[in-house]
Amino acid sequence: MLLRDNPVLTRELLVNLRSPRSFLLQLVYVSLLGAVVYFYWPSESEGVRQVGSGVARRLFELFFLGQFFLVALVAPTFAAGSITGEKERKTYEMLLASPLRPGTILIGKLLSSLSYLVILIVSSLPLMILCFLLGGILLSEIARAYLVLILAAGTFGLLSVACSSFFRRTSSALMVSYLVILPLAILCVALTRTDHADPRAREFVTFMTVSVLPPWCLAIWSVVAIVIVRRLLRPPDVGSEGKDVVDEEEEMKYAIGVVIDRDLYPDKLFAPAKRTDLMPDGTNPVLDKELRSEIFSQGTLMLRVVIQVSMLLSIPLMAALLFLRSDRAGYYVAYVLTFNLLVGPVFSAGSITQERERQTLSLLLTTLLRPGQILFAKLVAALRVSTVLTFLLVEQLLLAFVLIEELRDRYWTLIVFLLIIATTCLATSTIGLLCSALSRRTTVAIVLTYMTLLILFVFPVGMHYYLQGFVSISEERLASFTVTSPFSAAFSIPMAPSQNNTFTSTPVAVPEQVLIHLTPRIALPVWAIFLMIYPPLCLVLYGVTYLVFRWRWWRAGGLG
Amino acid sequence: MIEVINFTKRYGDFVAVDDLSFTIGKGEVFGFIGPNGAGKSTTIRFLATLLRPTSGQGRVAGHSVVDDPMAVRRVIGFMPDDFGVYDGMKVWEFLDFFAVAYEIPFNYRKKIIGEVLELLDLTHKRDDYVNGLSKGMKQRLCLAKTLVHDPPVLILDEPASGLDPRARLEMKALLNELRGMGKTILVSSHILSELADFCTSIGIIERGKLLAAGSIQEIQRQLRSHRVLRVHVLDESISRAATILRDDQGVRSVESFDHTLTAEFEGQDDDMARLLGRLISEGVGVQSFAEEPLSLEEVFMMITKGIVN
Repeated sequence: MLLRDNPVLTRELLVNLRSPRSFLLQLVYVSLLGAVVYFYWPSESEGVRQVGSGVARRLFELFFLGQFFLVALVAPTFAAGSITGEKERKTYEMLLASPLRPGTILIGKLLSSLSYLVILIVSSLPLMILCFLLGGILLSEIARAYLVLILAAGTFGLLSVACSSFFRRTSSALMVSYLVILPLAILCVALTRTDHADPRAREFVTFMTVSVLPPWCLAIWSVVAIVIVRRLLRPPDVGSEGKDVVDEEEEMKYAIGVVIDRDLYPDKLFAPAKRTDLMPDGTNPVLDKELRSEIFSQGTLMLRVVIQVSMLLSIPLMAALLFLRSDRAGYYVAYVLTFNLLVGPVFSAGSITQERERQTLSLLLTTLLRPGQILFAKLVAALRVSTVLTFLLVEQLLLAFVLIEELRDRYWTLIVFLLIIATTCLATSTIGLLCSALSRRTTVAIVLTYMTLLILFVFPVGMHYYLQGFVSISEERLASFTVTSPFSAAFSIPMAPSQNNTFTSTPVAVPEQVLIHLTPRIALPVWAIFLMIYPPLCLVLYGVTYLVFRWRWWRAGGLG
Repeated sequence: MIEVINFTKRYGDFVAVDDLSFTIGKGEVFGFIGPNGAGKSTTIRFLATLLRPTSGQGRVAGHSVVDDPMAVRRVIGFMPDDFGVYDGMKVWEFLDFFAVAYEIPFNYRKKIIGEVLELLDLTHKRDDYVNGLSKGMKQRLCLAKTLVHDPPVLILDEPASGLDPRARLEMKALLNELRGMGKTILVSSHILSELADFCTSIGIIERGKLLAAGSIQEIQRQLRSHRVLRVHVLDESISRAATILRDDQGVRSVESFDHTLTAEFEGQDDDMARLLGRLISEGVGVQSFAEEPLSLEEVFMMITKGIVN
């Protein structure tokens, strides 16, 4: 019953795999991977024997990382809607009232949402074997990589189904899934890196991935599965009697640590007090509503936990990256940027799509509000929450610049860091808003936002890392690929090495920064170009958002 | 007040509304009737400036729906058939939100929110969260929202759908009250009894085509090639009355039951009056003489062919 004749599984597979889209997506995916292999394949003039093994290892790692992040990004898109979708289509109660056992439903949902992903992963195997033929990788390494991928798919999928069973809306479930899974994925990649120079470290990683990871994953799977099954067996969220109402006092009882007091600083900054009287004249009502609405209505508890954990994590990171090795200040900034990358889209990607999903858009559109007013309010509200939350992590940076001499001497770098963080906040919110205007559904908007941000912010860093010293490209050319990434911008600021790491008392020279020649005469570092391109880019994106919104919603037939 | 001129809306090959034209005068209550999927909501969304027409024009209070949507939005109150409410907002905040969106000044807003709440009997729910309201209450709240800027024209898409019988009656009473306030109302429904009582005119739409429009009596007249007369007479004159009726050239057939005569009649109002005059002058004791009204259901069933459903 669990696997054979599982009606949930059959129905989902039928619907998912019936569309030509799934076949096309697979074709595009394999062609893309094939193109990468073709591009890197050593030409005949190069001795396959000499170049091949290096190429193969790079390709192998690129494939692994690419597919790993693909799993982390795509698994939630399929799985997070599996149960909330039933709730939204109002078929959830029918399903629960049927004689199907919760385990059957869970297995059906999980396998159906992961099957396509697994097909994608497996279809890359032949290309991986090609790399194997080049030499330099062991078959066991390939097996290990696929084991990690499958385990990751299972874990991420199950976590997403769990989120799906806990929330009412797919958008909330998807958001929380990403908030949980993306940090996990980054952690997992950091722990399972195989490019250590030290063979003992490599052996340790192999041991970890083969003998420790699988049982741990299985344990996590069972716990999560039991939680979901119990929830399906006695669902507390069926029916709607008064459930939709946010009772702030009740919420606070369950909030772990993060209790918002709207009258106190700094909570006031991102959650202003509720109104007790009518709005003054000339207020933008959308802005006022957005600012004062419950900011955590998007998956309340988890978002709070993510924020809380980030705050706590920032303290040891501050010690490690700012006080012990002040030359690593850029890495602390990268941490702050990652936080914004994860949390920023939460507040902006649903701005417009949610109006549509809640069926309030037509009410809003028949008022006298102009599309510009609506969009501006949405942008400012999202930007404000995400910026304030992100800048809470900056306190540590300020502290370090006040206390540490090496940093204090180069105070201008603080200004640059703050500018990079502020620009990133603006970019995440603007891109989120644009994706929200482009999409019909919040889930699509969220996925689109994360994809765009990963391509702009993270992908260039990865490219830089993999191309460095491998392809004969100058450092300048390489750096010019990374100007869209705030991470590269933060890393590009040269910091003086900490003095407690050096035994000489003479100050050590600050390393030179790579300059990119815009014209033969003008050369700028990556961070300067980053700061130059993003503000106008955001303005352009905002303009595009305005046009899209106007064309699509304000006076169009899109509502029908 | 409302004018729809050759409105056509196509989605690809599918014609949702085909060359629709009608006019609604000031103070009229126009019932827009049609089966599900006939094109009612499409027309209403067009008038509410939410939909661009494929071709055609619409005017509300003299403003063009296509060229000057902002002016139209100022004069209409629109209630969609399916609408949502914002999370975590109280009833008064919800109304204040829309009042500000309609640019109503602060001092006036305070007064009007109180008035609207009172009119819709929501005063006791003022501080409740909107997403905790029942369906009927939400429907009333949405109507309250459409009234905050005191629009002369109300466009209501299925205002009573999904309500229980009590809430339905209350909604009807409310609409009657609004009609008494002199507002021009366009209200759509597929439940006919809802409209029959208070609509001054109706339009019947099916498969995107307007089949009939005008006052209910007018449509009834248009529809009937023969009208049905019901004549009550005193016992002793029944046979005489039947003879007179049979002799009249407008009368097709006569049936008598007890002391009631039912006659199928073809002719205008003055022919009917002449017939009554003859009966009386011939000494028939006429107790009552009336045309049997055609119910809205009958009108609807006669006009639509039930193709959509």
